[in-house]
Amino acid sequence: MTAGKDLLVALAGQPNVGKSTVFNLLTGLSQHVGNWPGKTVEKKEGFYSANGKRIKIVDLPGSYSLTAYSEEEKIARDFIINERPDAVVLMANASALERSLYLLAELLLLKAPVIVALNMMDVAEQQGMRIDARLLEQYLGVPVISMVASKNRGTKALISEILLLSEGKKEYLPSLADVSEDHKEIFLELSDILGQYISPAYLTKWIITKIMEGDPDVTAKMSGTVPQDSWNKVQSLLRKHEDSLLAVVKGRYDWIEGAVRASLSEFKRGQILLTDRLDHVLTRPIFGIPILLGVLALVFSLTYGMGLPLQELLEALMNSFAGWVEPLLERSFWLRGIIIDGLLAGAGTVLTFLPVLFFFFAAMAFLEDVGYMARAAFVMDRFMHVIGLHGKSFLPFCLGFGCNVPAVMGARILESGRIRFLTIFLTPFVPCTAKLAVVTLIAAAIFGKNALIMLWVLVAGNILILGLSGFIASKLLFKRQHMPFIMELPFYHRPNPRTIGIIVWKRITAFIKKAGTIIVIFSVVLWLFSHIPGGNIEDSVLGSLGRFIEPIGHPIGLDWKMIVALLASITAKENSIAALGVLYGVGDEGIRGVLPGVMGSASALSFLVILMLFVPCIATLVVMKQEMGGWRWFLSSFFFMLVLSYLSGMAAYRFAVMVGL
Amino acid sequence: MLWKERNDMGNDLIPLIVLKEGEEGIVHMVSGGLGLIGRLASLGITSGMRVKVVRNIGGPLIITTNGTRIAIGRGQAQKIMIRPLAAVKVQADIA
Repeated sequence: MTAGKDLLVALAGQPNVGKSTVFNLLTGLSQHVGNWPGKTVEKKEGFYSANGKRIKIVDLPGSYSLTAYSEEEKIARDFIINERPDAVVLMANASALERSLYLLAELLLLKAPVIVALNMMDVAEQQGMRIDARLLEQYLGVPVISMVASKNRGTKALISEILLLSEGKKEYLPSLADVSEDHKEIFLELSDILGQYISPAYLTKWIITKIMEGDPDVTAKMSGTVPQDSWNKVQSLLRKHEDSLLAVVKGRYDWIEGAVRASLSEFKRGQILLTDRLDHVLTRPIFGIPILLGVLALVFSLTYGMGLPLQELLEALMNSFAGWVEPLLERSFWLRGIIIDGLLAGAGTVLTFLPVLFFFFAAMAFLEDVGYMARAAFVMDRFMHVIGLHGKSFLPFCLGFGCNVPAVMGARILESGRIRFLTIFLTPFVPCTAKLAVVTLIAAAIFGKNALIMLWVLVAGNILILGLSGFIASKLLFKRQHMPFIMELPFYHRPNPRTIGIIVWKRITAFIKKAGTIIVIFSVVLWLFSHIPGGNIEDSVLGSLGRFIEPIGHPIGLDWKMIVALLASITAKENSIAALGVLYGVGDEGIRGVLPGVMGSASALSFLVILMLFVPCIATLVVMKQEMGGWRWFLSSFFFMLVLSYLSGMAAYRFAVMVGL
Repeated sequence: MLWKERNDMGNDLIPLIVLKEGEEGIVHMVSGGLGLIGRLASLGITSGMRVKVVRNIGGPLIITTNGTRIAIGRGQAQKIMIRPLAAVKVQADIA
């Protein structure tokens, strides 16, 4: 390992500038995805090798600026300050130059050498803008590379620039933004007072600028090191100039204006863009919502249309594999049970869901990549507001229909902590593919030709309960609190297969890893508990437990076998089918044949209602705990689902008995 | 309320939320916490910037500024004071 000699390069940029495209291009599958220490913000790193040198590339969280108000922005700036990367690449969007340069203005004050990667030059060109990279470079005093990352143009030049800069072979004299003219004096006064106390790790200009912005972190840090009387002077200066933040902002935009004027020429103004045309329709609720519903219906029918046949194929393969290994294991009852009935029936079944998940995630990633999901979030915002969330929560909920694990992780796009918590809290009410599979199977067995109606009623009921819970929770928890909604709507663009591929890959592997490991262990444990000590279920640990808690099943019309099946669904929803199969001794007759004889309609309805609202699978629980951080939210969510599902099951049972179902 | 005076004095300050679709204005100031001001500034919504309302029919607004489209909640749009530009109907949207 030559870890000590690796160059360290940080990739910074605002959202929607093609940062992950470039990161993926440079690192490919060498990337490692984890979390920033102690944070629920994704950290991506990877390597690129050039001329015998290894470059470690760290993808900083996308951020519009470098304030202390969001976790992402703090992580980005702390990384640059503390880790001192050899170079920082600022990804800029050529079609929105001003905004991209805003982040640059902040970045240049952090002392690390910066390279500007001017991406999406083709988009800018289409919109009638031409940017002269050389003139921009002259104005900024830092290297500027033109790129079209979606077509893999400019990465080579970027790498050689990184090497040149890190080897000190390039002159580097950045021009920095000042505060606006009318505040220069107070800037100088503050520098006079504070200058001697600023550690050499920081640029004086950065500290003073942040003090003027009212940055809580920097202010707290400085107030601790500066003598009291000097600090009082600082405070009174700031009080006298309450508009200091605006002066800083204005200074930056003056600097940006200079850069734009030096380098940008526009040749076709007022051109009607594709985005305008599409948004004209898609963001108007009258059209937007029906279209959204249509798109989702299409996604689901494609997913199941293509996924189900493959799932059945995998199932058949799994069964013939089981049939092939079974004779080899015949000599040991326990080994046979663990491998065939535990491992293959439990974990194996989960794996057969991969095709369905793959198509679903691919469709979602496609919609995200072309820019449609932001519009979906926009038109859904007004509905989500009613339940205390905002439009951005819509994406995690959509993902939840595939699998709740990536959905819970997807809640990271919500920057406000409370909305994020509430979104995660409600996600388990979105029925995932596994839940739907179980419900479909049992409904078909018990309700025959009414099964489809039953399925729709159950799904609609779940969504209704999601809405009601959100409504009540937000009324109780947030009261009058304001939840700001500010979201960029990226331009529509052609899908990038590489980006989509990597998103799908990440979500699928998250499913396989989290679900795979946990479900494998629990499938085996479940099988053991249902056979220890005597080798049959009636006298097993699980059986005794089931009979012990059987009384709680009376009000909801469940016998102990169904209760055990519900408990088994915590390992993975599909396992409840496996458990029913084992407990009712289904054997060769098949579950569809046996269930109607042992399960009454009212009990079956109660069972399905509870299953739909029950605590999610262990993989989801683990991710929920991890993403919610503390125990308080997690436990309240856990018990809420437990109580709610029990009461709903009771209501459904009573209702079914009453109407004589 | 401020926007009532709008008809008499074309150049008065009004909150962004009052603009109709297709209308433009120059941001005068953003009231609110430092967090909101900073966040909007980083997106290009700050004093002196030209913004155009693309969508304003209940629910969040869509505005554009310097080639960026931003969806913004009504509460936040209430806090952005702008000076409306003379209503020269720019034929940018298709009818």
